[in-house]
Amino acid sequence: MSVRILLADDHPLTRTGIGEFVKKEPTFELVAEAEDGIKAWELLQSLKPDVALLDIRMPGLDGVTVAQKVKNDGLPTAIIMLTSYDAQQYVIASLRAGARGFVLKTVSPKELTTAINTVAKGGLYLDPEVASVMGEQDFIPEQLSVREREVLLLAAKGLSSKEVAKRLFISERTVQTHLASIYDKLGSRNKTEALLLALKYGVVTLEELLEDD
Amino acid sequence: MFSFFARPRSHFLAFLLCALILPSATVVLVAVFSMLSQERAMEAAVSSYVQDLAESMSYHLSSDTDAWTFQMLSDFTRYPFFSWGPSIPGWVALTDHNGKVILASPGASNINAIWKPDLPVGQAVRITDKKGAQYTLAVYPVKRPSGGYVVAAVSWSNLLGGLVSVIRLWPVLIILITLTSFVSIRLLWTKLVIPLQALVAEIDSMTLGTDVPDELEDGTIMEIESVHDALMRSAQAAIERDNLRNSYVKDVVRAQEQERLDMAREIHDGPLQDVTALLQQIHMTLDEDDDESAEVRIRRAEIIAKSVVRELRALCDELAPPWMDLGLSEAVTELAERLSQGYDIQIVSDFDDASRELDIDNEKILSLLRIIQEAVSNAVRHGGASEVHIHFRMSGNLVTMMIADNGKGFDAANINHETLRVEGHRGLASMTERMSLMGGSVRINSKLGKGTNIIASFRV
Repeated sequence: MSVRILLADDHPLTRTGIGEFVKKEPTFELVAEAEDGIKAWELLQSLKPDVALLDIRMPGLDGVTVAQKVKNDGLPTAIIMLTSYDAQQYVIASLRAGARGFVLKTVSPKELTTAINTVAKGGLYLDPEVASVMGEQDFIPEQLSVREREVLLLAAKGLSSKEVAKRLFISERTVQTHLASIYDKLGSRNKTEALLLALKYGVVTLEELLEDD
Repeated sequence: MFSFFARPRSHFLAFLLCALILPSATVVLVAVFSMLSQERAMEAAVSSYVQDLAESMSYHLSSDTDAWTFQMLSDFTRYPFFSWGPSIPGWVALTDHNGKVILASPGASNINAIWKPDLPVGQAVRITDKKGAQYTLAVYPVKRPSGGYVVAAVSWSNLLGGLVSVIRLWPVLIILITLTSFVSIRLLWTKLVIPLQALVAEIDSMTLGTDVPDELEDGTIMEIESVHDALMRSAQAAIERDNLRNSYVKDVVRAQEQERLDMAREIHDGPLQDVTALLQQIHMTLDEDDDESAEVRIRRAEIIAKSVVRELRALCDELAPPWMDLGLSEAVTELAERLSQGYDIQIVSDFDDASRELDIDNEKILSLLRIIQEAVSNAVRHGGASEVHIHFRMSGNLVTMMIADNGKGFDAANINHETLRVEGHRGLASMTERMSLMGGSVRINSKLGKGTNIIASFRV
């Protein structure tokens, strides 16, 4: 059975490029194209595709908002954000809005195929450019301790070190130590990257990140 | 016309005229009144005097036919009436029943001029002779067989000559008062009203920021001079302010041009070179004599194209980071992480619950991002800092952003903003400007060896 795909992007050239590639792939079926967010949302509701490739910046509704609507309405479509922006906060915002994938437009066809297949099966796909360990191709992260996972999840929710310390009844200093250890194990340089890498390597799940405390 | 009732634009001169004319008019009115009552009192006194004189003379002549002599006539000062004051010149005469003078005191020579047959008897009257001279006179009958009358009279022009001339002087006095009033008004007009109007005209025609008021003429009154001085001070302040603004605008324009230059250089050295290289690879691929395989060329082109995208993305971020759309805390976190990577230092950003949820417009977010950029750049380049903490706190509607570094700090108390500005270092100034545009303020605390704290606050 082929994967039914919706493509939403306001740039005709991008739509043509990505569309041509999707059509060429035998297991993919491009069911609709949209040039703005409102059209995309209408098509998502009526066609209920398996996967939607959404641009972030679009007229009408932006991609993150469309993803949020899909999540709120419980539509069966897995969302991949397809964007020119490499900001990690966009990744976090997209994931919070329910997207399962984040891919830059510079992606190679091979990577896009992987991304579409991964999210279609319920997985999570992040573009290597937004979540990669510098210099290492096949990086296997060291396991995080239970405490480190807790610290990472709380920090990922935007809590400051002080607040994390208060929540876990430990000192702020200990929180800093844990974070340093987490960064080291995951090969990240900051909180957001640590979180993205932890998601990428399955150290934490998207559900854990999104659940409210 | 002076409009006394058209408030609030009552004319100044109208008040001046009132102030001067009202007292003068009052003086004149009071004087006229007292003059009239004085004349009335005088007339009453003169009437009763001539009546008394005539009556008593007639009585004496009636009762004692041998007693009346010139002696008695010339000695009328012994009558009680004259005891109180200055002698009043007058005369007395005895006439027959036809008005022919039988006997008269000196000065009574013109009795014929005023004699009228129908003069009332026993009562003082005021009459005017043919020459216009006035007399008060009384006629009493003499009860003697030969009959006749006693006529007593006082000439107003003789008797009251002095008083009358004083009365005549009043119009002169009034004219004098009026004249001095007009001189005063003229003085006030030239010394006060005209200079005031000139000042108003000057203020109206002055272009603030370029003009100063003209010098005053000599002899200007003090109050006008102080108004003029105050105007001069504010005009000079406006000029200084304008100069400051001009140099500020010049700075901003220079900074803008510098930014454009930098941007052009970056585009030229980066994407433009890369796209040129890309084009070359494509040309080579199309060239039939090419040694390399098309695939190698295209793979090379792919790498170059990716690099172009990265460079353009970085340029976009520098111009206006698109991720500020995400909201304050996300944008600050993103920037902090980018700066942290870029400068290879530790940057921690943290928000309390209220500031994390804060929803402010992109313009303000961008301002805060620029301040953070500037602060971190200063901390690293000038302070050699290895750690920067960015805290956001919100209490009530006051948002406070504190940027603290562990750099070597500077002597904030002795910093010369003007020198910095002239040397093209607009960092601290632009932080202050950005915050004041947001209706907020910036405080910079720093001491040598103690790092730097930048506290920016604004209300939402």
